[in-house]
Amino acid sequence: MLLVPKQLLRSGMTGNVPYYGGRFSPAQAYAVSHPPQPPPRPADAKDSSALDALRHLLDTGVLTQDEYDGLVARVPT
Amino acid sequence: MGPVQVLVIAFDAPTFSGEVLAELTKLREAGIVRLIDLLVVSRHRDGTIETLEPPPEVERGLGKLAALVFGQPADEQSGATADAALADAPEGSTWSLADAIPVGSAAAVALIEHLWAAPLSEAIRRAGGTPVEETWLAPGDVEVLEALMAEP
Repeated sequence: MLLVPKQLLRSGMTGNVPYYGGRFSPAQAYAVSHPPQPPPRPADAKDSSALDALRHLLDTGVLTQDEYDGLVARVPT
Repeated sequence: MGPVQVLVIAFDAPTFSGEVLAELTKLREAGIVRLIDLLVVSRHRDGTIETLEPPPEVERGLGKLAALVFGQPADEQSGATADAALADAPEGSTWSLADAIPVGSAAAVALIEHLWAAPLSEAIRRAGGTPVEETWLAPGDVEVLEALMAEP
């Protein structure tokens, strides 16, 4: 029987090792082994423990109101 | 199913010693590999590939699965070839029997399942590993390795 060969994808034994001309560039290898991480879930509010600590410092007189307001603005959300 | 390797071995004439099959049988009995199918083909001077009867040493009926995996009968070839589906594949990422078998040669094309590799692949996947390179050491490098291993 005459057989018309098909083109087949190459693969690797331990999984889908993609071939790009037979090799990865270092950048491609790094990208494959470090898939992009999903963005962190946005927090609903500022870090409550930091706010509690600042509130305590304000209440105990360690911070002035202006200092407190400035530091609260810097607490990441 | 474990990963399946394709071995294409060219011969001047499509004859086998039973030795290769005996080795494959030993590996199969040890649970290491399984010979799924064996196709024997001849590549003519005009480049066409013809399937041949398997040698008498092997089980009759072998070769049908492999023929379907690697090609299609010339008289059943449709106008739309499977190549179109691979049009976007990166250069060097595909192959075919026509690439592998020299003109004027016969070849045995073996489909070999590596039974040992399935659990390893699963373990790699579970660990979050990503295979980025996979190859064999060249014979010269194997000699270097052997010499290093022989050092006290």
